This record gives sequence, C-alpha cells and structure tokens, in this order.
Amino acid sequence: MRHVPTLFRRELAAYFLGPMAFLILFAFQAIAWINFWNLVDELSRNGQSFSGLRDPLNTYISGSLAFWVGLMVAVPVLTMRLLSEERRSGTIEQLLTAPVTELEVVVSKWLAGFAMYLVLLVPFALYLPFLYYQGNYRFDVGPVLSLAIGLASVGLMLTAIGLFFSSLTRNQIIAAVLTFATTFLLIFATRGAFAYALFRRSSWANVFQFLSVIDQVNTFGSGQLDLRFLAAHLSIAIPLLYLTAKVLEYRRES
Amino acid sequence: MIEVERLSKHYHSVRAVQQVSFSVGRGEIVGLLGPNGAGKTTTMRMLTTYLPPTSGRAMISGHDVLDEPIEVRKRVGYLPENVPLYPEMRVREYLSYRAQLKDVPRASRRRAIDGVLEKCRLTDVDSRILGHLSKGYRQRVGLAEAMVHDPDLLVLDEPTAGLDPMQIREVRTLIRELGERHTILLSTHIMSEVEAVCGRVIMIVKGRVALDDRLDRIQEQGAMVLEVRGPLPEVRKALEATPGVGHVGVLSRDGDLAQFEVLALGGVDLREELARRVVQAGWSLRSLDLRRSSLEERFIRAVREATLATDDLHGLEPEIEAA
Repeated sequence: MRHVPTLFRRELAAYFLGPMAFLILFAFQAIAWINFWNLVDELSRNGQSFSGLRDPLNTYISGSLAFWVGLMVAVPVLTMRLLSEERRSGTIEQLLTAPVTELEVVVSKWLAGFAMYLVLLVPFALYLPFLYYQGNYRFDVGPVLSLAIGLASVGLMLTAIGLFFSSLTRNQIIAAVLTFATTFLLIFATRGAFAYALFRRSSWANVFQFLSVIDQVNTFGSGQLDLRFLAAHLSIAIPLLYLTAKVLEYRRES
Repeated sequence: MIEVERLSKHYHSVRAVQQVSFSVGRGEIVGLLGPNGAGKTTTMRMLTTYLPPTSGRAMISGHDVLDEPIEVRKRVGYLPENVPLYPEMRVREYLSYRAQLKDVPRASRRRAIDGVLEKCRLTDVDSRILGHLSKGYRQRVGLAEAMVHDPDLLVLDEPTAGLDPMQIREVRTLIRELGERHTILLSTHIMSEVEAVCGRVIMIVKGRVALDDRLDRIQEQGAMVLEVRGPLPEVRKALEATPGVGHVGVLSRDGDLAQFEVLALGGVDLREELARRVVQAGWSLRSLDLRRSSLEERFIRAVREATLATDDLHGLEPEIEAA
C-alpha cells in the first residue's frame, strides 16, 4: 500500500484538471444554497415549534429531493472515468506494468472518488457556522456530525459501486448508466418498496427500510450513530473493491 | 536477462503465441520482427507481466513473470505501442509521478528525471502538457518514462511507429545509445530498423519463432549463383555431390547454358570448390557469384515457410508454392 498516496494524488489532481468536477461542485453548491434558503425560511417563521423528529436541520440534507437526485447523478459521473478511461486510452497498460499491485490501484482510486464525494458535501457544511454564530440559532451539533458520518458512510459504498462498474468496461457511459441504475435502486427503489410494503402491511417493510439509503441517512440525521449501517456499507464496499482488483487482474486484453 | 521457454498465449480459440522459446543475454539489442498480428505485442505484454501466459515460462533476471510480477516490473522499462499517456499532465510532473510509482528514491528522483529529460532531449518541453505534444515528443516521453528507474531491460513496442523520417533517425540514435547501458528488446515490422539498431533478430510469424540469429550471420549467409555450360542433370548432380552443399536449384536455362543457385549448409562459402569441380569435369564456367541474402529475403522466406507449415498442419492445399 506504499504507492497509495502517489496514486491518490494523481487521481484527485485529474479530477480538477477537467471541467466535470467543477460543474458538479457548482450544481451541489446551488442545491446547498436552495436548501439553506428553505431552512432559514422555515426557521424564521414565527410561532413554529419543532419536535426532535421534525427538526428542520436534520432534514436539511436527508429530506431534500434535490440532494438525492443530485447525488444519483454525481456519483456515476465522478466514478465512471476512474478505470474506464485508463482502459480506453491504454494507460492501464502503463499503470499495471509499474511495480504496483492491482489492489493498490483500486484502493487509491476508491479513496480519490470518496474524497471527491466528500468535497461535494462541503457546500452544505459551509453555511452552518453562519447560522450558528451569525443567526444565533444554537442548534445541536451532535446530530449534524452524526449526519455527516452517515453520509460519508454511504459514500464509501456508492464510490465502490461506481468504481466496480468502471472496471468492467472501457465505455464510460456504460459504467455511468450501470452505477446510476444501482444508486437509483438503493436510494429510491428501496424507499418505494418500503412505502408499498407498509401500505400492504407486509413484514418486508422493515427489510426495505433497513436497505433504504434515505432512511439510513435519516437515522444518522436524527442523532443515532448506528454503526450497523456503517458495517452494512463497508460489507458492500470491501468485497466490491476486492472484486474490482480481480477484474483488473483477469480482464486485461484491451 | 530474458529466458523464455515454450511460452504460449491463447485468446479463447485464437493462438496468438505458440511455444515460443528464446533467451536474451545482458547488453544485447534484440529485434522482434514479424508481420502485423504475428504475436509480437502479445509476447512483450507477457514479458512485462501485463498479460499472463496460457502456458510456458518467462523469466526476467531470474524472476518468473507469473510468480514474482512486482520484481519483474521493477527491472523492466516498458514502452507500449502507441505510447498511452495521461493527456492532462505535464512532462516533468508525469515523469515524477512515474518515478514515484517505480520507487526511485526521493533523494535521487530529481537527478534521475533531469537525466532522462536530457537523454531524450526533452528539457525544453518539460513543462508542456502531454496532450499537446506531437507524436515524436510523446514517443520520447514514453522512452524517458521507460528508463526513469534505470531498469536492466527495456521492452519497446514499435518505438518508431508513426514518426517522420527525422524523428525515426533520432529515436534510433537514442536506442543505440541506450543499448550501451541496457538490454533492449524492441519490436518492429520494419526491416531497416532492425538492420539499423539490432545485433540480433528473432522473427515471429504466426505466433511461432521462425528465425533467431545474429544479424551479421544472417547477412553472411548467401546463395552462390553459377552459370555453367554443360549437360544439366550431370552438372546438377556434381554440384549436389560437393560436400557442404544443402540445396541446388535451377534458376534459368537457355540451351545447354543453365544458371544454378547453390545454398550451402551453415552459410559456408564454397565458391572455389564449386569452380574447381565444374572446370575439372570439363564444363565451362561462365560466371560465379555470391549473393548475400538480405534480411528482407529471409523474412519473406520465413513467412512463406510458416504459412506452408501451418497450412500443412490443417491439411489444406498450400496457397503459395515454395520458391
């Protein structure tokens, strides 16, 4: 794992040497701005009282449809090129004939994708100190931190999924579509299935709720640092990283 | 330096490389010659650990490509065909990145990079973006990258493909200079390239080694051409009876004057002996010539023989008659 810092640095630099990272960052900045506007608007209404469950800060991110749609687009776009591009341009041949292991390459690219994912969340955090100090709204910091950890935990899984699909093909569009489909399943389809199961009073409702990424993040957002979810996310991410390394070992014919 | 034993690579039903064996000693410049699609790139990819062989063994400096790929990669500098580079990086930045991946120690990294920049005459463009470089410069960056960690062996896949004549000359000069310090295996389908830089040729045709010899010996070997006036069957018999003669062919015939081509075993020069025999038998010798075979002739002959051999294997009619 000695080469991970070197590989990671190049990967992260590659993001910012193209326009894509900036475009997505800009879109997320816009979403954060609108969400914050709504948040301030809601908080400034007179006579509103919030229960712990309906605290607008907890749903500042996890209750925002724009955020989830944005994430569903951003994750595929950020992860699609990680390995597909190397395959398409042939640089994978250079990379894998240097004295680095496949796992080092995969872990570095995963960490770079994850770092980019964290960068996307920064705009949302940017406004909060202003609300706290300038707006004198002394919200509870704990749940916000827990929410951040929850979102990071989801990111570990989503970037691993994107990286895996990127390793399968030299066509970035195919990688992006597969990743998009999977994130859609995890974010919205599970949520829809949960609602449907609830409606039918099926016992599957609990299962779908556990799988639903939105509900997972809501749990974190309400201040419950539920490590079962972190374990679940890592138990998807780590085998996928291993599989990705195996794909690199076996599918080399470019 | 390189030991290859019965190396094969199959892609599903396609046999890209079949039972290839050769060895290359330290300091040699060896040209891997063959028509397009003969298996040169596949062989090189197996030697650089990019592709795993289907069967057989390949060792670089005593390390097996399958068992110790990392050790092999440390000792090999590889220039892939078409030189893939990250278009967004700058020349020096890229070399520094690659040097770090290849474990060039921090203390000597700057010196190593300056060294290869100078050797490949890239010092002037060291802050240019790779994606904006011309083909010739890209090739040089690829070469600089291949040798930044001072490897024992350089594997260069078509190092002059797509360059203009001036650039080809520069790259060849560079390769010859590099040959003083490194062992080099380069592939090409251009004969003159091999003649210009290599000391030895390994011809690969249809995934098999068709010829493996030193260049000067290939050029030494030649056919003797005699024009003799005399009864054709007897003259032929007498020529064939000469010790050391491998094959006698009739090139043309005009009355009792015939032109014979004599191939000697092991490329020995038999001109004096042949002349003596013809004259002693009472025939008149009109001319006697030693025709040096060019690499190109050998190449074409090897390709033809390989085609015939594989066609025979499949029980098909040979498409090309033996020359």
